[in-house]
Amino acid sequence: MRESKTRPWLLLAGPLLVIAGLLLYPIVRVTTLSFQRYNLREVISGSPVFIGWDNYKQVFTGAPGLPGSYLWRTILPNTVVFAALAVILTIVLGTLVALLLQSVGPRVRALVIGAALIAWALPAVTGTYVWVWIFDPDNGVALHFLQSIGILGQEGHNWFTDRYSFYAIALLNVVHHSYPFVAITIFAGLLTVPTELHEAAKIDGASAWRRFWSITVPLMRPVFAVVTILSTIWDFKVFAQIYLMPGGDGSNPEVFNLGVWSYVSSINQTKYGLGSAIAVLLTVVLLLITLVYLRLLFREEDTA
Amino acid sequence: MTTRTWTSVGKTVAVVALLTFTLFPVYFMLSTALNGQNGSGTDSLVPSDFTLDNFSRAFTEDHFGRYMLNSAIVTVATVVVSGALAMLGAVAIARFRFRFRSTMLVLILIVQMLPAEALVIPLFLQMKDWRMLNSLLGLILVYIAFSLPFAIWNLQGFVAAVPRELEEAAYLDGCGWWRMFRSVLLPLVVPGLVATSAFSFVMAWEEFTFALTFLSKDDRLTVGVGLQRFFGAHVNDWGGLMAASTMVTIPVVVVFVLAQRRLGAGLVSGAVK
Repeated sequence: MRESKTRPWLLLAGPLLVIAGLLLYPIVRVTTLSFQRYNLREVISGSPVFIGWDNYKQVFTGAPGLPGSYLWRTILPNTVVFAALAVILTIVLGTLVALLLQSVGPRVRALVIGAALIAWALPAVTGTYVWVWIFDPDNGVALHFLQSIGILGQEGHNWFTDRYSFYAIALLNVVHHSYPFVAITIFAGLLTVPTELHEAAKIDGASAWRRFWSITVPLMRPVFAVVTILSTIWDFKVFAQIYLMPGGDGSNPEVFNLGVWSYVSSINQTKYGLGSAIAVLLTVVLLLITLVYLRLLFREEDTA
Repeated sequence: MTTRTWTSVGKTVAVVALLTFTLFPVYFMLSTALNGQNGSGTDSLVPSDFTLDNFSRAFTEDHFGRYMLNSAIVTVATVVVSGALAMLGAVAIARFRFRFRSTMLVLILIVQMLPAEALVIPLFLQMKDWRMLNSLLGLILVYIAFSLPFAIWNLQGFVAAVPRELEEAAYLDGCGWWRMFRSVLLPLVVPGLVATSAFSFVMAWEEFTFALTFLSKDDRLTVGVGLQRFFGAHVNDWGGLMAASTMVTIPVVVVFVLAQRRLGAGLVSGAVK
């Protein structure tokens, strides 16, 4: 086969130019910014001031107007605990739905897959608005329902001001939006597990529970690994789903996660240096998760 | 017999519960959009005053038609350019053995995870310097870059699956590389291009973070940020918001249904070859 040495680079020239100019250079710039004071005054004068690790010190030990433990008490739980819960719930629900799909007839299966596709297609932005409308503290359907069965009194309740109920709603939203991908992917994987294995185990008297853990899980390990890590990356950087809920756009610092804190500090409050330091922290966390993912992918490659 | 009955009852309950959880938000969006009186959520549960007023109000009073048009321009441009660039990149990676090939692959997988919140700060400052805030072109450039890594990664699996013998047959028939690419490789990779375009389409159509940051002029908004205009200072126009949300959702559902069979294909199989 005729292979020229320049052709791959000719083909890659366009894509690489775009990636270098609009993804790699910005990451270099955001890292530089994170070591600078770049607020409104510096933006106007056009000369940022180098301040070493000061922005990072503010991130870890408290920025002006925020408690010293803000990162540890508020931001990290809102980011890490939320992502962990969202991933666990998404994977468990996705797996249960995949197993259900396997055990029902073709018509019900088509119905469930169709419904899941619609939930998957519902854009994050519009989905978030629908959940906000459902839980609206003045007129929401959840409020009226809970009042009519007597759980809530006439005084009502605002779920969005309290951090835990805020994130409970965000969790519903995120799991609703992301379980279909997991369910459909795992279902596709289940189809590759040989039925003979299950039949043989059944004859030996193994229960469905036992067969799931001893046959399905070990064989499906690569699929579970991929969906778990992709979900982790996605759930770590949820932004619109938080920002669009009441208080998430800057008015209630109790409900920020890493991404929202970075955005509000930089774009809304024009503290670009501080926002950049937070953004770098988020990027480093995601990079570490991606490295685990890459090792996994290439290990599968070696053993395959 | 009884165990079997209980199992089927259990399954039915599970299916009904799942369908309720999955479809309720979609149903509630539609029923609010089609209801004339949305004083409270309970009114919207079953439309009593069936109407299309919310849709016409969204398009006439709230410029939502303009936002849809802006999003359509941005989305089409992103899908076409990023699809073309991704095709070139995917062929380079899947078909040639060259130095730094695995470096390229790792680079692509790594830039794919970069969070929008980290890129938005430097890109905002850059676009401001270039006076490209409120320009759809600026947004298109960013979306092309943002969708490109995944598009290349997804497509190269499809390219790698095309048998090399077909290429060699074309060479034997006297085709040059470029002719072979157009007449053999490209037509065979169309399914992969469909799947990749579906992902770019959805990303560009509903993108929020960059649009929120770059666009502020009312006639330049895309749908992702345009929806915010339905929140008044005192009263929220839930009917209008849900009607507009429905209009945003429909194209995505259509794309998902059309591309359904191919969506997961490149992601699970042939990821790294």
